[in-house]
Amino acid sequence: MINGFLFTFRPIYFRQFNKHVIMKKTFIILFFFVCGIATQAQFKTAILQASGLTCAMCTKAINNSLEELSFVESVKADIKNSAFKIVFKPGIAMDIDELKKGVEDAGFSVAKLRLTGSFSNIEIKNDEHVVINGNTYHFLKVNNQTLNGEKEITIVDKNFLTAKEFKKFTAATNMHCIQTGRAESCCKKEAGAEHSRIYHATI
Amino acid sequence: MKHFLILSITLLIAVVLRSQTTSGQKAPEIALPSVTGTIKKLSDHAGKVVLVDFWASWCTPCRKSNPNLVRLYAKYKNKGFEIFGISIDEDKTSWKKAIIHDKMSWTHVRETGGWDGPVASAWKIEQIPSSYLLDQSGNIVAIDLTGNELEKKIVALLNAKI
Repeated sequence: MINGFLFTFRPIYFRQFNKHVIMKKTFIILFFFVCGIATQAQFKTAILQASGLTCAMCTKAINNSLEELSFVESVKADIKNSAFKIVFKPGIAMDIDELKKGVEDAGFSVAKLRLTGSFSNIEIKNDEHVVINGNTYHFLKVNNQTLNGEKEITIVDKNFLTAKEFKKFTAATNMHCIQTGRAESCCKKEAGAEHSRIYHATI
Repeated sequence: MKHFLILSITLLIAVVLRSQTTSGQKAPEIALPSVTGTIKKLSDHAGKVVLVDFWASWCTPCRKSNPNLVRLYAKYKNKGFEIFGISIDEDKTSWKKAIIHDKMSWTHVRETGGWDGPVASAWKIEQIPSSYLLDQSGNIVAIDLTGNELEKKIVALLNAKI
């Protein structure tokens, strides 16, 4: 009798467990699918200000250096902002650090980098991390909001702005990642593996 | 290793030599649109001492050197001196505004292709301001002279003719 009960119970229990696993899997897949859609952004252009001992706009070195990057379509002088307007190739992921390296290779430093892209449903919160296109961004001095459509963000990592400006942003967070641009143990868990790149940005 | 060093140095020298249009060379011809849109040629000024000046409205050092050019032009234009200004401005309005603002009354043309345009490429322009002083036969005799140095050379060339 007891044996018989167990026999009839077990398959039912097993089935339920199985169903639970399938549902959990579906949820995980769905979760990633939704996340995948929700955190997409296509960066189209950038406005880059460079600084150095001489007039950055007056040398072709920066143009040459940036035009060599695989994801850069064109580099032009932007008179209004006394900066460079960079157009990215569509469909190719741009690399913020490569842009900085390009400017530094030409003998200058980045004084400001503003990126324009089209965002779809990206929820950002002040002083929190968010994953966009697989990269972790840490937004500072922003109002909590959902980014949709054409939006502009400014990179505030060290050496992407003047030292004075950078100080303002370091004061806006307790997380140490602003200093290194890398995930630290003190940074929040969702930032990803330790030492993975975290881009600091504002709007 | 030694061979590699020699090769590197040779390459470096070659790159440096190639980097700018050099002195003693015949000036490459320029034919570009003026403010009004008509094509102006460098050869239109053959027989004169010509300063070929590459600049742009957004280039601060260029704008700072303009008053000196205005002074030199006023002083020597009737003695056979001409300035041929080539702007690499991509924005036509900013270019025109700068010409009026800086009171530059000489010949102005615009390299519509910017840094990578045909004229900027032919002259191997890597930075601005870049200026070339041509003698009456159209040969480049001096590069990037400024202030008194430029004036001395202009005077020397103008006197040499007489």
